[in-house]
Amino acid sequence: MRAISVLRVRELLKKELRQMFRDPKMYRMLFLAPIIQLVAFGYAVNTDIKNTKTFVIDHDRTSASRELLEFVEATGYFRITGRSGRPADLVRALDHGDAEVAIEIPAGFARDLAAGNGVRVQVIVDGTNSNTATVALGYLQQMSAEFALGRAGSVGMLAGGGVDARTRAWYNPELESRAYNVPGVIAMLILLMSLLLTSMSVVREREMGTLEQLTVSPLSPMELMLGKTVPPALVAFADLFLVTAIAIIWFHIPMRGSFLVLLPAALVYIIAALALGLLISTISKTQQEAFMSMFLLLMPAIILSGFFYPISSMPELFQWITLLNPLRHFLEIVRGVFLKGAGFSDLWVQYLALTLMAAATMWLATVRFRRTVAT
Amino acid sequence: MPEAVRVDELTRKFGDFIAVDRVSFDVAEGEIFGFLGPNGAGKTTTIKMLTGLLRPTSGSAHVAGFDVKTQIDEIKLSIGYMSQLFSLYPDLTVLENIHLFAGLYGVSGNRFADRRDWVLEMAHLTGHQDRLTGDLALGFKQRLALGCAVLHQPPILFLDEPTSGVDPISRRNFWDLIYGFAEDGTTVFVSTHYMEEAEYCHRLAVMNRGRLIAVDRPASLKGSIREPVLEVMTADAPKAVEVLRDVPGVLEVTMFGRAVHAMVENLAAAERQIPERLAAAGHSVESVRPIEPSLEDVFVSFVHRSGGMASG
Amino acid sequence: MNIARLLAMARKEAIQLRRDPGSLVMAFLLPVVLLIFFGYAISFDVKNIEMAVLDESGSARSRALIEAFESSGYFNIVAYPAGYGDVDQLLERGKVRLALIIPPTFDRDLTVGRAPVQILLDGADANTATISQNYATVIINRYSIDVVAEGRRFVLPAEVEGRVWYNETLESRNMIVPGLVAVIMSIIAAMLTALTIAREWERGTMEQLAATPVHRLEVVIGKLIPYVGIGLFDVAIAIVAGIVFFGVPLRGNILLLAVLTLLFLIGALSFGIFISAAVKTQVLATQVALQTTYLPALLLSGFMFSIATMPIFLQAVTYVVPARYFITVTKGIFLKGVGLDVLWAEALAMVIFATVGLTAAIRAFKKELA
Repeated sequence: MRAISVLRVRELLKKELRQMFRDPKMYRMLFLAPIIQLVAFGYAVNTDIKNTKTFVIDHDRTSASRELLEFVEATGYFRITGRSGRPADLVRALDHGDAEVAIEIPAGFARDLAAGNGVRVQVIVDGTNSNTATVALGYLQQMSAEFALGRAGSVGMLAGGGVDARTRAWYNPELESRAYNVPGVIAMLILLMSLLLTSMSVVREREMGTLEQLTVSPLSPMELMLGKTVPPALVAFADLFLVTAIAIIWFHIPMRGSFLVLLPAALVYIIAALALGLLISTISKTQQEAFMSMFLLLMPAIILSGFFYPISSMPELFQWITLLNPLRHFLEIVRGVFLKGAGFSDLWVQYLALTLMAAATMWLATVRFRRTVAT
Repeated sequence: MPEAVRVDELTRKFGDFIAVDRVSFDVAEGEIFGFLGPNGAGKTTTIKMLTGLLRPTSGSAHVAGFDVKTQIDEIKLSIGYMSQLFSLYPDLTVLENIHLFAGLYGVSGNRFADRRDWVLEMAHLTGHQDRLTGDLALGFKQRLALGCAVLHQPPILFLDEPTSGVDPISRRNFWDLIYGFAEDGTTVFVSTHYMEEAEYCHRLAVMNRGRLIAVDRPASLKGSIREPVLEVMTADAPKAVEVLRDVPGVLEVTMFGRAVHAMVENLAAAERQIPERLAAAGHSVESVRPIEPSLEDVFVSFVHRSGGMASG
Repeated sequence: MNIARLLAMARKEAIQLRRDPGSLVMAFLLPVVLLIFFGYAISFDVKNIEMAVLDESGSARSRALIEAFESSGYFNIVAYPAGYGDVDQLLERGKVRLALIIPPTFDRDLTVGRAPVQILLDGADANTATISQNYATVIINRYSIDVVAEGRRFVLPAEVEGRVWYNETLESRNMIVPGLVAVIMSIIAAMLTALTIAREWERGTMEQLAATPVHRLEVVIGKLIPYVGIGLFDVAIAIVAGIVFFGVPLRGNILLLAVLTLLFLIGALSFGIFISAAVKTQVLATQVALQTTYLPALLLSGFMFSIATMPIFLQAVTYVVPARYFITVTKGIFLKGVGLDVLWAEALAMVIFATVGLTAAIRAFKKELA
């Protein structure tokens, strides 16, 4: 292997950076877009159930039925957006998506409640969004049980007995999903940027016929590769700082751990992502193909990272697959550092996994790159 | 003779930069009209305005009697255009490219079959019609691009540096084709920076820095130079150029391979001074003799008089 | 518009697609692979929540409570730590998401009156934590009632009888597959076309095209035709895969779905051309395409995150995300079996999207070189 010439690499880096920023639109894409996305998605990525649109049919119309509805609405999880006496309206509201939950209180509700006969309140949820449906149904069951127990207590049937659950949520006492999701968006954006920047780089030069020119120059494959990876790495790092700052300043995401724990992880993660991008770039024949291959990689990486769906509820096979996903490990590090103040001793497994992955992808990319450049 | 192209005070600005500055000229039907000038002189911009690819900022131009500002669609049916890039689709085969351009120019039926065969024969690609265009040698690509540009037999043909990067023999053959078109009555508008090509044109327009500095027949242009030209042969031409630039009475010095051409004010004085100065600078002089100015000398002289080359 | 020129463009585009087998294979494979992959992998169903139990009571009644958790099917007890310190460790390391701590006085308290137990949640993942908390509360309430009733027949005064419509088993697959078709297609469509015109600019072929009499309308529509074909084929296999592999019910009118899909594809593909024509380089086109279609379609369409919980300004933004309407269409036709009487607004949105997309593509695509 020829020695790496600092001079040649510097010239190459200048050329790459100049090409990257030739079009002023590129600045916006590389620095402004991640900020906008973090802000937009920081707000969007929210799994809290609040203000669920609720349709009510109250056949009873008594103070007891009103009390139940007030009890339900007071929690803030549900907002009554429609009322009617006719069941046909309920069907309409759900079909049109005007309501996601419907509560139907039967006639004689107050009477049966007082008599202790046991009444059944019908709740219908729109299952097309099964997450909302599951959570909403759970809340309603819990509320009605509380309501019923409260009632039973007040009529002297249950004299305050039973088990009293005292719940405490750690790391995130208000159970706000944003604190969990914003660090996830950071990890995702960094992957996106790294892949986008490198996956087109080699194939673009090939398409334009300039790759040949570079290969006959005295540049060694290692130098070329440095030229192709260092500028995107710089951009990815700049983006990391930008979006982390915004997460802390704008979203008040607590940073309980140390940025110094995060930094080496980010470095390894970015290397792995750049190597993956480069691999795609050397394999693809056209930019279009590279773009689609990158996407084929990106989408599963995001879905199988535990970002949106807990890994533990995936089928076992997929749980194993997630171990190969750098985003999964980086995500655990980012969340650990942000929310739990975790340090190296807590996260060494993830560090090790990321490092192994970065080394493997870098090796693969180098081999492929040499072959591409040599021919 | 009626005019194929008529240009009047044509101007194009890009922001503050004036790429083409109040240019006026006419091109007669059946003429081979050459466009000469250094890079950045405004040749390509002018051609793009005449072919409807770029709107003029001011002034007017008519191509085949149609206004470039309002009748672009009519113009495009009357012209063929071929750029220096030979922009055919590299991932289409020869025949597929012919098919595409025939479709775009509305050449169909029997006429298509005739024209297809003609193009294949002209481009020496008969029997190779299923090869990918990207795999062809440059000379073949160039002829195929020309063929595609004239599939619809346009009365006017625009060629923007059609021979750049092509070997001299292919270039020669290409000009034979252009003569053929002109003999058939096609007007050919061609830009080039090869001087020997410019000699083939019926008339030449010289552009520099966005301005038209001369329009005439090549012979007349050469005759328009009053200053005599000396050819100086030395061992080291580049060094000689440097020395001669400082000799009083020498207006312009240009290198032509091993020879140096010097345009001078006074022939006799220069013939005496030049060998002296070169010898004084330590250069051996093989010969100094007066020559007929070549078109390149003319070009250099015009560019010199109009303020030198555009920078960059 | 000249039909011969249009067909020449479409034909050329189709041949170029065929010459690029890598992209072509991707175009057909990507939706199917993604759909199958995610149809299996994604699940919103929270179950087998890892749980730790610290039973300091060790009584029969505490064991009954633990048994109630275990038999519910929602929780999976993975650890019985010895003390509070271990509970901390388990939560810290993310080994368990929930810990139940039963104090030594549990049995005695229960006999006297209210018996407190402690539930600790890993609140980091708020969604899972919320669901776990609901499950835990319901289990504990049921248990309380059993204890208080002491075997007597006891009727809870009021009970909720929950029913789920459209997706009776709350199978998240049923909701994901129709939504995913919409999300995947909005991305793929833009991706397919985003590079086509930018590539012509880079190669210089656009200049050659611009010098021919071809009209920009013909270029745009000629480029659209082969891609609309691919897009429709993609949707068709995605739908068949959804029905065959995942057993997602198709309750509505398939013809209506086809028509609205066609409109959506025209809009999305035109948007890709618009990007391509506006930015002129492939690198930038990919950036813009990905950032303006992929993440919004994934996050702002209501596919994963409920639009109702977003801040007002973001809710306003979702109105310009075409995938939002298309998801309502696919879910509506697949799961709700509703027709144009319900989906007319979405249908109108599709018509507007197609019209605006096409107009923008044609306008952005200037034949003038500048």
